[in-house]
Amino acid sequence: MRRRLILFLAAFAWLAAVPAGAASRVPVQVTEARIRWLPGDLPMAGYFVIRNTGERPLRLIGASSPAYRRIVLHRTVSYGRMKPAKSFEIAPGWSVQFTPGGNHLMLMGRTRAIHPGDVVPITLHFAGGGALRVKFRVRGADLR
Amino acid sequence: MSWRARVAAAGGRAAWVAALSALLLAGCSARDRGWRTTDISGIMPPLKFTLTDSKTGGVVNAHDFRGKVVLLYFGYTHCPDVCPTTLADLAAALRELGARARDVRVLFVSVDPARDSAAVLKEYAAAFGPEVIGLRGDSEELHRLTRRYRVTYGYGRPDAHGDYEVSHSSAVYVFDTRGEVRLLARPTDRPADLAHDLGRLIAEG
Repeated sequence: MRRRLILFLAAFAWLAAVPAGAASRVPVQVTEARIRWLPGDLPMAGYFVIRNTGERPLRLIGASSPAYRRIVLHRTVSYGRMKPAKSFEIAPGWSVQFTPGGNHLMLMGRTRAIHPGDVVPITLHFAGGGALRVKFRVRGADLR
Repeated sequence: MSWRARVAAAGGRAAWVAALSALLLAGCSARDRGWRTTDISGIMPPLKFTLTDSKTGGVVNAHDFRGKVVLLYFGYTHCPDVCPTTLADLAAALRELGARARDVRVLFVSVDPARDSAAVLKEYAAAFGPEVIGLRGDSEELHRLTRRYRVTYGYGRPDAHGDYEVSHSSAVYVFDTRGEVRLLARPTDRPADLAHDLGRLIAEG
């Protein structure tokens, strides 16, 4: 009985995980994806504009990349005051901006050397299991 | 009725205080003297500090920067967004100045000396241009300087990874070539406006 339940749960988990593979089906458009390079092992910031091109609200719940050990969503409270954010709601037809001095991805613990000019893949994760792999261009520290 | 007439009519101490405030506000407004950032001449003490230059490892003080227009900014290198955004704006203003930028120094003072080693700070400052100098001091030197310019900073609670945030003032103080405080640049000021004002201070000599 217990065995059957585990099998069932495993099958369910597998099914639930499938949409994550179907990345291109998340109805979003990401533009201006860039990273501000900083030296050493200092955390960097990732910026982009994300638009919900679908008919239903979307919720961005996180990001991951083979190039960083940890990525945290940060929301602007007021200028200069940041707070880790659990998620960002994006209404159909609307955009959320991640810009310098505002919302950003905090990219921590680089796993390899990263230089201005590089392209780094970052996967954005959405509530419900959707994911989208985005190429971020690494720009100089004086990116504006 | 003009405000003068109104003050005269009202009389009394409160009215004088109001009038004085109005004058002070008028005196501080950026527009009337042609400054595009905020004129704070005389309301803060002249530049004075003793800190360690992260590039040379040597002790530096305000006298070492006489003859330069100095931008004083407090921050920390583990700040991924606000500090680099401000420094990028300052770098953009310096680029607009072209060759005149050689008469300007940006002093980035770390409010997180525990994490900001000289090596980290040196690389960080260099990433924004040759005019940017990373300075650090012990907590007493830092305290003395931040109290002098009423700069506040505080440390957040470390998370599970030992990372912590440092909250700090976002203002940039601008001193003239004689070390007198002149302007306050805010994050909302455009680099072109800051460049305009820096150009004027350089021309004053």
